Amino acid sequence: MAQKPTSTSWDHQYNTLRREDLFRNPPTDHTAYPLLQQAVNPHIESFDAVFANDGLLAKGLADIGTKVFLDGDDRTPVETRNKLSIRYKGVQLSKSLLPPANKFASKREVLPAECRERHVSYRGKLAATFEYTINDGDTKEFTREIGLLPIMVKSGHCHLRGNSPAQLVARREESEELGGYFIINGIEKIIRLLLLNRRNFPLAIYRPSFTNRGPAYTPFGIILRCVRPDETSQTNVLHYLNDGNVTFRFSWRKNEYLVPVMMVLKALMETNDREIFEGLVGSPDSKGIQNTFLTDRVELLLRTYKTYGVYTMAQTRAYLGEKFRPVLGVPDALSNYEVGTEFLRRVVLVHLGNINVTEEQDSDKFRLLLLMIRKLYALVAGDCAVDNPDAVQNQEILLGGFLYGQIIKERLDELISSGLRLGLREYFRKAPSRTFTSDEFRRDFPIKIFQKTNEQVGTALEYFMSTGNLASPSGLDLQQVSGFTVVAEKLNFLRFISHFRMVHRGSFFAQLKTTTVRKLLPESWGFLCPVHTPDGSPCGLLNHLAHKCKIMTGSVDATVIPQLAAELGVVDTSSAATDESVVVMLNGRILGWCKPSESRRIADTFRYWKVEGSHGIPLELEIGHVPSSNGGSYPGIFMSAEPARMVRPTKYLPLEKEDLVGTLEQPYMTIACTEQEVVSGESTHCEFDPTNILSILANMTPFSDFNQSPRNMYQCQMGKQTMGTPATALAHRTDNKMYRLQTGQTPVVRSPLHNAYGFDNFPNGTNAVVAVISYTGTVKAWTQTMLDEDGLPYVGRAVQEGDIIFAYHSVSADYSGNLVNRDGITKYEKYKDSEQAFIEEVRIIGSELGNEPAQTISIKFRVPRSPIIGDKFSSRHGQKGVCSQKWPAIDMPFSESGIQPDIIINPHAFPSRMTIGMFVESLAGKAGALHGLAQDSTPFRFDEENPAADYFGHQLMKAGYNYHGNEPMYSGITGQELAADIYIGVVYYQRLRHMVNDKYQVRTTGPVVATTGQPIKGRKRGGGIRVGEMERDALLAHGTAFLLQDRLLNCSDYTPTWVCRKCGSFLSVQPTVTAFGGKKKIANTVRCRNCARRLDKIPDVEVSKLKGEIWEDGQGNQWVGGEETTKVAVPGALKYLDVELAAMGVKLKYRVDSKDAIRKGRLTQKTPKEVGLDNKRLPALAVA
Amino acid sequence: MSREAYQIPTTQGNAQGGGANLTRTFDLEGATMNYICGDCGFKFALRRSDTIRCKECGCRILYKERTKRMVQFEAR
Repeated sequence: MAQKPTSTSWDHQYNTLRREDLFRNPPTDHTAYPLLQQAVNPHIESFDAVFANDGLLAKGLADIGTKVFLDGDDRTPVETRNKLSIRYKGVQLSKSLLPPANKFASKREVLPAECRERHVSYRGKLAATFEYTINDGDTKEFTREIGLLPIMVKSGHCHLRGNSPAQLVARREESEELGGYFIINGIEKIIRLLLLNRRNFPLAIYRPSFTNRGPAYTPFGIILRCVRPDETSQTNVLHYLNDGNVTFRFSWRKNEYLVPVMMVLKALMETNDREIFEGLVGSPDSKGIQNTFLTDRVELLLRTYKTYGVYTMAQTRAYLGEKFRPVLGVPDALSNYEVGTEFLRRVVLVHLGNINVTEEQDSDKFRLLLLMIRKLYALVAGDCAVDNPDAVQNQEILLGGFLYGQIIKERLDELISSGLRLGLREYFRKAPSRTFTSDEFRRDFPIKIFQKTNEQVGTALEYFMSTGNLASPSGLDLQQVSGFTVVAEKLNFLRFISHFRMVHRGSFFAQLKTTTVRKLLPESWGFLCPVHTPDGSPCGLLNHLAHKCKIMTGSVDATVIPQLAAELGVVDTSSAATDESVVVMLNGRILGWCKPSESRRIADTFRYWKVEGSHGIPLELEIGHVPSSNGGSYPGIFMSAEPARMVRPTKYLPLEKEDLVGTLEQPYMTIACTEQEVVSGESTHCEFDPTNILSILANMTPFSDFNQSPRNMYQCQMGKQTMGTPATALAHRTDNKMYRLQTGQTPVVRSPLHNAYGFDNFPNGTNAVVAVISYTGTVKAWTQTMLDEDGLPYVGRAVQEGDIIFAYHSVSADYSGNLVNRDGITKYEKYKDSEQAFIEEVRIIGSELGNEPAQTISIKFRVPRSPIIGDKFSSRHGQKGVCSQKWPAIDMPFSESGIQPDIIINPHAFPSRMTIGMFVESLAGKAGALHGLAQDSTPFRFDEENPAADYFGHQLMKAGYNYHGNEPMYSGITGQELAADIYIGVVYYQRLRHMVNDKYQVRTTGPVVATTGQPIKGRKRGGGIRVGEMERDALLAHGTAFLLQDRLLNCSDYTPTWVCRKCGSFLSVQPTVTAFGGKKKIANTVRCRNCARRLDKIPDVEVSKLKGEIWEDGQGNQWVGGEETTKVAVPGALKYLDVELAAMGVKLKYRVDSKDAIRKGRLTQKTPKEVGLDNKRLPALAVA
Repeated sequence: MSREAYQIPTTQGNAQGGGANLTRTFDLEGATMNYICGDCGFKFALRRSDTIRCKECGCRILYKERTKRMVQFEAR
């Protein structure tokens, strides 16, 4: 009996019964929400591409190739030494399994849910098979385990691959588990998507920083990011020099190298100057020859190269080989010529030939290099415009899986080259007599030598995933070394899904002062969402993919293209004049040239065929036809069938069929936004829906076309901060922090995409009933034991600050192997948070081998938080605000039908914010609630002729309500009718995670900074909030001097201090010490040491004649005088300043009394006695 | 919210003591408690020094049972 397959089509209605059935009986065939899985698929597909048969890793191993090692002394001739050649035969990744040492478990697989609950990583065993020969003998094979590699959930190496929702639920996952992330120490991590330069496409760049490379360098350059079949890349740059010369630049292992471009040309092919000249300029009868700007420079290019004196291909390669031998790390046995060839293979235009490079591929490289030079000269001459590297047109996406594969490849390369070299060196240092051919070596080779090398490829990748740092010797041709991974926070489901659609421009650009990279460009249309980017520092750098945008994760078969192109009239001969011939390229390879007039015909024909599906042209092929123009982009047909491109579906009008449009081709196409906008003879395509340009989240904003645009951006941010339902498998989740809404509802007003993405499984708010009820209270006098007999808390118990959560002790093994506690100390862990919480779950986590006693526990607390004044709420229109008052329901106003509002929002919230969408939602929600309907809120559905207010107004009228949504209301307190009719409706509200309980900061006294005595910073430590300069200004302006003093002094570093009135110093005062007082007595007399005189220093002292009391200091010295001390209140910071200045030799003198003031006015002669100084002392520095 | 009341910082953590009735003496083997397997749901007893795994299926995650004591809170 064949059951009906689960339906995957959704409308905007509630579908209550259908959803209930889906919940009760998770489908056993496939998910009901395929769009969700499609949103994540690029991540999973890219990971699978790495480990597939003949996948990226296999291609990478071919690129690593065979490594050759020689034994014996370096100084002996190469021929006499033995040779060990070793290469990777393959790398195998197994699924996540228990180690064989665990004899207890009946199920061997380790599922992702277990990894989350046990806070470990989800990883599988990685093994590499090596193949080696010694001196061209028999090849031998061995396999070694090279660590445990983190596995992407739901990838081909995950147990969850292909599981139906029912199976997923049985495996303690979400019924709609998406995968696409890694589990590292129980935390879900994803690799960010990054925007990179478009591969295999020469970009014309004007970058002033190019001039920093040397004296003759100009800002003009051509950048070509070549990508090898294994997705690693090598950027080649051509620089234009002042004199017309061209240099070839590349980076290798983080160092930059510059080579004359002529040398590369001559090394690639057996060529001559005439061939190069004609390749650049065109045949003698072409128009290009008339371009004297070009011919002058090409002549110079050819002439200046003569100084090197290398002419033939063999000479050039040998020359290059000699220079680059130390850089490339090639075996000593290779000749210079071979090293030169290796250089060309590894560095120059690697996308055209990377392994076993044929002569034809070298010729392709040669021709492409000529094109690049041609484009460079055109750029300098102003014949072509610069390409914008910040436009999505010239970008592609670095997929997480591809980056992962690149890192693995590099680690494997390191292992077999430098790792093994070190291992061998160590081995021969210990046993110098042995050689590769000796028996001992044969016995030791794989095992003993590999023991010393670091084989932990898995650990390296786990480090990468957990920190996001790239520890790489080559830098992987990337512009950043950190920030590659982020935690996929499951704060709510919108946030979680957004992580997978997030595209970052690169952290390098975050530091850039210019804002050009952040601009929203028209090229992004349909690929990157114009709405969904955060405001603030990452604005414009962190974008999100439009929901219909796809990322190609593999190359499509375009082998028929060269043949078809030739049939359509693409020829080999060309000219530098772009009005005479334009280039036809496929995947960065030049297929030939055609007339500009023909190029459109060729491109159109290809497009027709590809949409039609005929001639074997795949739909995913990108046909970028850049038409000839006067000083515009360099023309040509640039086709691409490669991965990492962004494509999106549009309707091809001639065939009324779906066409996939790429980023490069879109700017040169005419795509009508709606059917009405189609211009006959002009438009070739039409959008399926104008909302296709929006991201998943931006599509969730109802009637977003009615709102002022920044409000929609704010909603995209706040949607991700909402307390909602993050998951349904809540019992099996161990997130660090998770918010859970108890009263989630489905919005009345929503678009069909809400259902298609299954967001009703994860409700995110409430229809205006903003009451998140938690049913708890405080517990008084709970005197029972806090801990259960096992030292763990009772599950379900309430805990307060200071309560004991669990007890533990240390153990060591006794003589019989039993673990006993020796010190007799039991330690306790306390609950530190000030909020009451409940013990939700207590997990005892065993070891992987299942043979260890309890050492790890995981406790989940539930902190109930009913909404209080100060909590933040928002509608879906960027209308956020804090709850300012909670009223009893009886005091709320009511309408004629007895409806009471849940929320009262001030009308002032609207004029400045212009969120008309909220008004419309209110109308629609009200009408929907009255009729029991879900309302479709897709933007761009209403227009001037059919306004939304009219549509919903009539619905309201049908329900017997006011057309405009206004209603008379009555005061809840007095029962009087309010003077005006009130606009009342139903709006979906979100509760944001920012709650006062996490924010409030109060302090009167508390911890202070030791040096200044001022309050410390930070809410967590009980610090204060700074009353800064502007706050001070405000208080001053208000004339609230008393308040100001309270803030700045009394509640801050108020310090009562002794000061000497006479000498005006803080530093010279000291308490007196009496010999009889003992330690307890507090010194209440303070004297100035500076103004006092020491008794034993006064000659002929006669005690009875001395004025004043004699006092003693701590050393027992007796003093007299210095009695003019007093206590003043000063800021602690002032005392600190005094001490600091004293250390620099600056004395401060304080006037305590106004009579000590410096007299203002004309100086008059006074005797020292009048001034109050004796004649010995000079006046000290006075501080006015 | 006892954050308001300022507590004088002390250098030593006052982690000791506080747990009521801590004078209860443990016998050497410790008390026997029931736990629930995270995979098969089997309920079984474990003692202090026992290895952490399900006796039935070898699962490495055990849940503590919800307390049988009265858990009652004042509802507001």
